[in-house]
This record gives sequence, structure tokens and C-alpha cells, in this order.
Amino acid sequence: MALDIDFLPLELEELPALAKRKKKAGFRFVQMLCVTTQDGIDLQYSFMKEASLENYTIRGVRPGTKVPSVTETYISAFVFENEAHDLFGVEIEGNLLDFGGNFYKLSEREPMTIISPAQKAAREKAVQEKAAGEEAAGEEAVGEEAVLEKAVASGEQQKAAEANDAKEEASPQEAPGLEKADRTAEANDAKEEVRLQEAPSLGLEEQAAEANDAKEGA
Amino acid sequence: MGKATVIPFGPQHPVLPEPLHLDLVVEDEVVIEAIPQIGFVHRGLERLVQTRDYHQFIYIAERICGICAFGHSMGYAETVEKLMGIEIPPRAEFLRAVWHELSRVHSHLLWMGLAADAFGFESLFMHCWRLRERILDLFEATTGGRVIFSVVKVGGVTRDISPDMFERFATTLSGIKGEYNQICKAFLTDASVKNRTVDVGTISQQAALDQCMVGPFARASNVNNDIRALGNGAYGALSDFKPILDSQGDCYARVKVRALEVLQSIDIINELIAQIPAGDIAVEVKGSPALGAEASNVLEQPRGECYYYARGNGTKNLERMRMRTPTSQNLAGMTTALAGCDLADVNMIVLTIDPCISCTER
Amino acid sequence: MGSFKLGKMTFGSLFKKPETILYPVQTRPAPLGLKGHIQVAIVDCILCGICMKRCPTGAIKVDKPAATWSIDRFRCVQCGSCVRECPKSCLAMDPNYAKPQTQKSIESVSKPTASESSEEEKAAKEALEAKKAAKIKAALEAKAAREKNLT
Repeated sequence: MALDIDFLPLELEELPALAKRKKKAGFRFVQMLCVTTQDGIDLQYSFMKEASLENYTIRGVRPGTKVPSVTETYISAFVFENEAHDLFGVEIEGNLLDFGGNFYKLSEREPMTIISPAQKAAREKAVQEKAAGEEAAGEEAVGEEAVLEKAVASGEQQKAAEANDAKEEASPQEAPGLEKADRTAEANDAKEEVRLQEAPSLGLEEQAAEANDAKEGA
Repeated sequence: MGKATVIPFGPQHPVLPEPLHLDLVVEDEVVIEAIPQIGFVHRGLERLVQTRDYHQFIYIAERICGICAFGHSMGYAETVEKLMGIEIPPRAEFLRAVWHELSRVHSHLLWMGLAADAFGFESLFMHCWRLRERILDLFEATTGGRVIFSVVKVGGVTRDISPDMFERFATTLSGIKGEYNQICKAFLTDASVKNRTVDVGTISQQAALDQCMVGPFARASNVNNDIRALGNGAYGALSDFKPILDSQGDCYARVKVRALEVLQSIDIINELIAQIPAGDIAVEVKGSPALGAEASNVLEQPRGECYYYARGNGTKNLERMRMRTPTSQNLAGMTTALAGCDLADVNMIVLTIDPCISCTER
Repeated sequence: MGSFKLGKMTFGSLFKKPETILYPVQTRPAPLGLKGHIQVAIVDCILCGICMKRCPTGAIKVDKPAATWSIDRFRCVQCGSCVRECPKSCLAMDPNYAKPQTQKSIESVSKPTASESSEEEKAAKEALEAKKAAKIKAALEAKAAREKNLT
């Protein structure tokens, strides 16, 4: 029997109830991880029982949101929650073994939220492609429907598409997670650029130049 | 009735095998509780995913730990292959499994040497490491490196093993088995060893389940969560795989589980070598992971179950690569085992969870 | 106390060959395929720079205008990516380890430039062609002379 892996979404409020349900069903806690994204931080909790591994992802936790702890149900999660707090700046309340930021002795706060210029360029490119995709979808819908309803429906859809576009273009600037990444990335840009020049040309220089142009343009 | 004193233990200590810091709250030489702290070997390796593309990152993944080096490179390669939907040839899966089991033998022999050293039995430590040298010679002959192999790539493996080399495997392993049985006897029947390990740091099965312990640490408390039993990859070709369990839950049980796992691994290697299919050893991998694609994978490393997660962002660099190593999961179990033990047993208990702090904080 | 459990092994090792060798008096030959250090056959190198792009540590630097290939032996982790990726197969992994040094340094090799050799070759080619042309001319003159004689 091979491993059965599932990725499922989750809302922040449901987390403690989910942990209790899984404990009752005999699942064991595997890990908790964080990913820095443009809309904040994604948290992922994994539970495993025999051959089935279930991963629950909470998307887009903004800094300042309090995340409930699962250490009451699964005590071994304290390692990961302390790590999330020290490396990513996620605030978790109710951690039974909370080290208060001293679990990892680091010289920089929240080092995993800093992203390199290459990754920033990749994210901006992905955002632009998504916006372009939605515009195209809006225009196609206009062409497919009947006349009167078409006018009304297409107007609504285009407005929705435009609203989405506005949100997409605004979100890189507004998302506080990314702002912090911007700030720290700029602070590290001097360091990065020096390192980039020393590093072999893995295409980072071109991408860094593009990222710089995009920043200046935007 | 004594006062509680806090003794700092580590990160540098003559008997402590890994750079772990423990604050031991002690009352008259009995430890009441132990508070762990890590962060001394943090190199930020997961962040390097942003500057090295997914082909180059395997060399970083290998260097997370010297003992579990092969496990990490294999787990990383499998995760990226799942992310991009690549199927590797069966011969490559078998070769990876053979090297992984050999890695398990070398890791357990290393651990047993350290355990012997921890209770002062230095000649046994030397004998264990002498046998381990023969395994390292096998690695050197087949992969080109003794500790860091660099033989796995995304898409397969880079080197093949010829049939004469497989014969050399068989002779070396049977030679090791003969002497290993004598070492096992010393570990499991010697009175002074039993004095130091029996009924020390006992963890019941219920406590092990509550704390979600993994690896031989949990199997000694009768909790079976061996991923190899699921039959992923080449492990599915094994006819009969039963994880070694022990119900005592003390340090002696953990030593016994690891000692027997070495013999089990030698049998597994012989079985895999007999069944290895012929064919290619790698496929060419081009392109990048798709935006938003995610994949996760679990692997049974010598220390327990290791969880890998990868997410792509459309470029050659991965968005996120996460390796959750068994020791970070076992830290809670270690803290429980340390409560109520003697001060002199602290290093024995810390050692029996087989800590690998370089893995815990990459 | 019990018996001496390692007695058999200890007694046996009195008579067996030692597990170690008298290094540095005796050395073990490096097994084939040991990841020692990278060697380049610079004559075949086309200075494409693929090895520089694939190197995970940035140890290799290829300078096309200056026609040099250099490697920082201390940065190289002997992964073998450059050996596999070179399109002309001019890189090889030598089984002997790089010698220890007291200071970090970069080892550089220059590709012999094409100008010197082609000048010689050009001169040789010109001489050959001049000889050929002279032969043809002589043959044509002889033919013309023969025809003139016939007519």
C-alpha cells in the first residue's frame, strides 16, 4: 500500500477543533511548516495515520493575526511553533512551551521572510501573468453569452475582472508581508548585489536588473 | 528536601554528542525537568533554495547532516520528482534503496559506538567504528565519497553499481555480520551495560503515542510507524518486512532495536541486490516546477521518519523546501524521558534518541 | 560481573592483520571513481561556460575574452556536475585529492590561442598550394609544348 497524500485547505478558526478531531481519530502530528508568500504566511499542518498523510494549509496569515496553538492536543508541536515564531514572525498564542523568541539564537529577526531578488522577480512575474489570464477570461466570457444578458453580465464580469486586476496590482504594494520583505530585501540588496557579482552568472544578475527596473517603474 | 538548582548542560560537553543546550532543573542529583534549546548550528539552508536552482540544491540538501546525508538527498530528489511528475527508472529506485539501507547500517553502527563511549566502554566504541570503516570503504568504491556521496540527482542516480561490486557487497556484509554478532552480544548481555541502560528513561507506549514520537525511539516503546512498511519505491519489492519492536521502552530497548535493525538492513540489502532490475539509471529532467505546485514525501531515515515538502513558483528555484527531521519531532519525547532521571543518566538518555541537531535546525 | 564479552574478538585480534595501515609510510591506492579533484583538458575546451553555470558553489570561472578557465579548489565540493554537463567532455574527476595549501588560491589555465598555430598552418598551407599550382602550371606548359610540337 503506497502513501496517500492529500492537500486540503483550512481556515484559521477551525484549527484547534481539527487537531482534537484528528487526535480522536488516531492520527499523529507530523509537522507544521510556514511558507512566505505575497499575501502573508501560509501555515501547513500535517497529520498521518498508517498510509494516509493529510496536509492542511491555512493561506495568508498576516502579521498581527494570532494563531491558536495545538500544543494542548499535540505537545510535540512546540518545536515547530517556536520555530515559526522565531524564523517567520508568526504569533502563536497558547503555546505550552513558549520560549518567547529564544528558541533559535539568531542575529536577524525573522530571517525566513527575506526573499532574494530572483524570487521577488519570479513572484512579480507570476502576479502579472495571473492578471493577464483574468483579463483574457473576462473578454472571452463577453464573446460567448446572448445579447441583452450579455451586456449586463459582461459588464458585471468585466467590472469584477477589473476589480480583481486592481486588487492584484495593488496587493504587491499593500501586503504588509511583502512590504516587510521589500524593506528587508532592499536593505540586503547591497549585500545581495555584491554577492551576485561574485556568484557565477546563474541569470541572477539579469533577473536582479529586471527586478530593479520593475521596482523603479512601479 | 533539597533546593532546585538549574544546571546548564551543553552545547559543549565532553559526553554530549550534539550541540544541544539543556537547562536541567535538578534537586539533589535527580532531574525534575529539562528545558531544551537549539540554534547553535542554524545555517539557514532552507533559505538557500532561493538562490540555487532545484538541480543544484541537492548538494545543499546532502550537506545538512553528515550521518543522514544520503537520506536527505534521496528524500529531496523524490520530493522534486513528485512535484514535477517525473518517474524514475526502477533500477535507480533499487540503487537508491541499497545505498539508503547501507547508510542505515553505517548510522546505527556509528550510534552504537557513541553509546558505548557514553558509558565508558571505549574498546567497544572502537570495534563498532572499525566495522563501520568497511561500510565506508564500500561507499567510497561505489559512490566516490565516504560521507557525502553526491550520487543522487533529480531524475535518478549518477553512478551504477556493477555485478562484481555487488559481490563485494555480499562478501563484506557477511564478514561484518560475523564480527557484529560478537559486538551485539557485548551490548545486550554485558552486565555493566545493562546496569547503565535497563530501566533508564522509560517511556510508556501511551506517552509515546501522545507525543507522536518517531523512529527507533518510538519502536522501542512498541509504537510502530515505520514508513518502510508502506512499500514505497523499491521497498515494495521486499517479500516480508516487519519493523522491529520492543515493548520495554527504556534505554536498553532502544539499544536492542537499533542493534537488531542493523541485521535486518543487511538482510534487506542482500534481498534487494538479488532482485535488482537491469535498465537505465536516470532520466533527463528539463523545465521547472509549475507555479503553485506542491508535493510532500516521507522517508524512513535511520533516525526516524523525515518529512519533505516542496512548492514551486514557475522558475528554476523552488519557492519553498522544507525538511522536517525526526529529531525535531522527538524533542518532546526526550524532555519527558529526562524528567525524573538521575543526573548521571542525562547523557545516556539524550544519546538514545539519536539526536541529530544539524538536521533539526538546518 | 560476568565473563569478558569481547574476549574472543580481542584474542583474535592479537593474531590477525591490523585493520589500519602505516600511513604515510604505506598509502592505499585511491579507488577508481573517488571524487578527488577536477582536471581540465584545456585544448578541447571551447570556453562555452556551461560548467560555470552548473557549478553549485561558483568555483569555476570561465573567461572567454581572456581564454582562461579557472577553478577555486577550496570552493569546489567535488559534486561532479561540471564533468557531466561539459559538452566536449574535457573535464574529468581525478581520484587523488587536491594537495593541502596554506593559502586559498585560484588555479587558472589558459587555452592556447589559435593565432600562433594557424599562422604556421597558413604558411604550410600556402607552401603546399604554391607547390600544387607550380606543378599544374608545369604540366600545362608541358602539354602546350607537346601540342605545339605535334602541330
